[in-house]
Amino acid sequence: MTGVREEDVVRSELRWGLVTIAAVSVIMIAIIFAGVAMHINPPSNIERVNPQDLHLSAEFTEANLGTRVEANGQITSRIVATQFAFVPRCVVLPADTPVTMRFSSPDVIHGILVSGTNVNTMVVPGYVAQVHTVFRKTGDLLMPCHEFCGLGHSEMLATVRVVPKADFKPGPDGRVACANQ
Amino acid sequence: MPTNRRLIISHFAVAFAAFLAACALGVWQMWVRSPLSGPQDIPERYYQSVTAHGVSMAFVLTTFFIMGFGYYVAETALKRPLPGRNWARAAFGIGVAGVLMAVVSIASGKASVLYTFYPPLTATVWFYVGLVLVVAASWIWCVLMLVAMGSFKKANPGVPVPLAMYGTVANAVMWLWTTVGVSAEIVFQIIPAVMGWTQTIDVGLSRTLFSWTLHAIVYFWLIPAYIAFYTMAPRAAGGRLYSETMGRLTFVLFLLYSLPVGMHHLFMDPEHSTGFKFVQMSLTALVSVPTLLTVFTISASMELAGRLRGGKGLFGWIRALPWERPMVLATGLAFFMLWFGGGGGLINMSYGMNAMIHNTSWVTAHFHLIFGGTVVIMYFAIIYEIWPSLTHRQFRSVPLQRLQLWLWAIGMMVMTIPWHVLGLQGQWRRVASFDYSDPRIAAWGPWVVVSLVGGIVLLVSAVLFVWNLIPRRYSPALEPKPGYAFALAAHPPHRVPGVLNGFVLWNILVAVLMAAAYGFPILQFFLGDSPQAVIHPVTGG
Amino acid sequence: MPADDDGLTQEALEAALKETPRGAFALAGLTVGLLMAAWLAMYLLVFLPRGSVG
Repeated sequence: MTGVREEDVVRSELRWGLVTIAAVSVIMIAIIFAGVAMHINPPSNIERVNPQDLHLSAEFTEANLGTRVEANGQITSRIVATQFAFVPRCVVLPADTPVTMRFSSPDVIHGILVSGTNVNTMVVPGYVAQVHTVFRKTGDLLMPCHEFCGLGHSEMLATVRVVPKADFKPGPDGRVACANQ
Repeated sequence: MPTNRRLIISHFAVAFAAFLAACALGVWQMWVRSPLSGPQDIPERYYQSVTAHGVSMAFVLTTFFIMGFGYYVAETALKRPLPGRNWARAAFGIGVAGVLMAVVSIASGKASVLYTFYPPLTATVWFYVGLVLVVAASWIWCVLMLVAMGSFKKANPGVPVPLAMYGTVANAVMWLWTTVGVSAEIVFQIIPAVMGWTQTIDVGLSRTLFSWTLHAIVYFWLIPAYIAFYTMAPRAAGGRLYSETMGRLTFVLFLLYSLPVGMHHLFMDPEHSTGFKFVQMSLTALVSVPTLLTVFTISASMELAGRLRGGKGLFGWIRALPWERPMVLATGLAFFMLWFGGGGGLINMSYGMNAMIHNTSWVTAHFHLIFGGTVVIMYFAIIYEIWPSLTHRQFRSVPLQRLQLWLWAIGMMVMTIPWHVLGLQGQWRRVASFDYSDPRIAAWGPWVVVSLVGGIVLLVSAVLFVWNLIPRRYSPALEPKPGYAFALAAHPPHRVPGVLNGFVLWNILVAVLMAAAYGFPILQFFLGDSPQAVIHPVTGG
Repeated sequence: MPADDDGLTQEALEAALKETPRGAFALAGLTVGLLMAAWLAMYLLVFLPRGSVG
């Protein structure tokens, strides 16, 4: 073959390979930027807990669930995911403020997303799933269980009520509940 | 050639019987999930159906198709009878027994754990035993593929293994690695729990082991489609493969990078650190490379064919291609769907971006489009290509084949585009029924109905596919008995470097990559006290 | 092997290969470029505005 030789083919493939590397690099850079500068990362708080004792634990005992302003001012919502409901079914959180949500499950795998936001995490029995976020939009946001957890999975839904900062009024014990809003 | 026609056809029969049933179930599922009322609209039935649909499509259609096609390639590409045909028959029997076990388990209502069967939800032991048997059958197939390639190389020293077989064996090697994860999960964790030998199960470990299999398995499904792109489509188009070296490299890259990336299915999980998630995300970026290379190489091969047919200019070659041939049409439709399905995949793998869509309908849309669309349409095209050489009969109607392919592509787009949109709006997965009285959910209703229409089109296409394969009693028998001729390369290799004619080096690299990507992530569950979850059998009712 | 011969002549192949892969570069470049644009659009218009998580 005197015409197009295999070397020419290889050279064209290498040129295309450069295009490929460029495309993948753009994506990688954008991802790293989102993680480092915009604080959007996969929630990866590795915190082990015994699912069978969850209700007995100091943190996830029923009286301690829901939104509470800690002594240091941090706003934390604690929610238990169980077949087939979230406890509590509604939490209140202020907009434009850094907040933390902590989930755990005493039984099977669940998961949550908060509609319209990037808040998304699996809730795996044996672990406390934790997300930090800042809600920008106010309103009642849907928080469904998004992982198959059994026959009642379709009914498993909660609400995140995001209120303007000024309307977020914790009681003397630091707690805020949906019923009071 | 091929000599084992009945064996091969039997595999395809099982594959597409499961496929057809699963398509029907899929339509019912979409119907009861929509605002329209449907029969048997209860969660028990829905999750039985989803389990059956997922197991059929993800495990039965695929494994049996790939085994059958592998036997076909081993005989026609190597031009040798299949070694160990009794083993192949035994494997078929074991596989069918496994399928029956799984089907009966699901039908009994005691196995509604979905095809991803996330423990601590557990099913009847027969469900898992059935799936293990299917995997065992596929392992026998893997060994036969390796033996076939080995004996070809021994009989033909220095001769490059034909590309179609090289790709098939790359797939077999990758499958052996792939199945380690789910097999370990089933054998060491789930079955002991179901049998009552253990009362709890480490869910972090089981999810991690499953993720090992979960991504690589989609490349197991995909590689036969790529074998068709590289070794069938160029010839069907009247041209040659632009670069055989790229074909070999593509299969090697899939072998390397399909496995150490499973953690991108666990981005939202709390049992792994951002460190390992980032490592596996970077490796996932590398697994996009063989697809991006393929897009160019196959375009160039098609361009070559188009120019041979008189196409001129930058894009004129596209119109010059023989689109009336099903393999060419399917390739074009497959690449069209690849843009959407692959693009969706790029979003899923983009680390933080995964949070935007994890466990929403976007994910459902993605894998139906990329697998159900791009890959399965090539399965149809492969069957159409090889059917005359298997049945020794001429097709009745090629236009019906083209119609079937068009219906499949259109149905797939109509079904999955709404799911993409709904996923972005926060519609979540695996829901038996939505509360359409909530206005936010009611707004999704019309989209859901549109995707149902797409599903119905797909079912029509699936029925037409099977119809197209049934030989008419009066269709002429073919003489002389047809074999199969794979595509030639534009520059046929006389010698190929050893690393692109075998897998020893790549196996070593896979081991290194897996140790790096999965070593600690799995080991961590054995250090210290890993939390245990209580088993929740779904059999209780 | 005669059975595999696809009937293409060297001259025809040479002529066709001369122009290849300009068309492939164009098609693949265009489609991958559009893909990158779509990815960036999703990134800038949907993903970033949805806020932080971690």
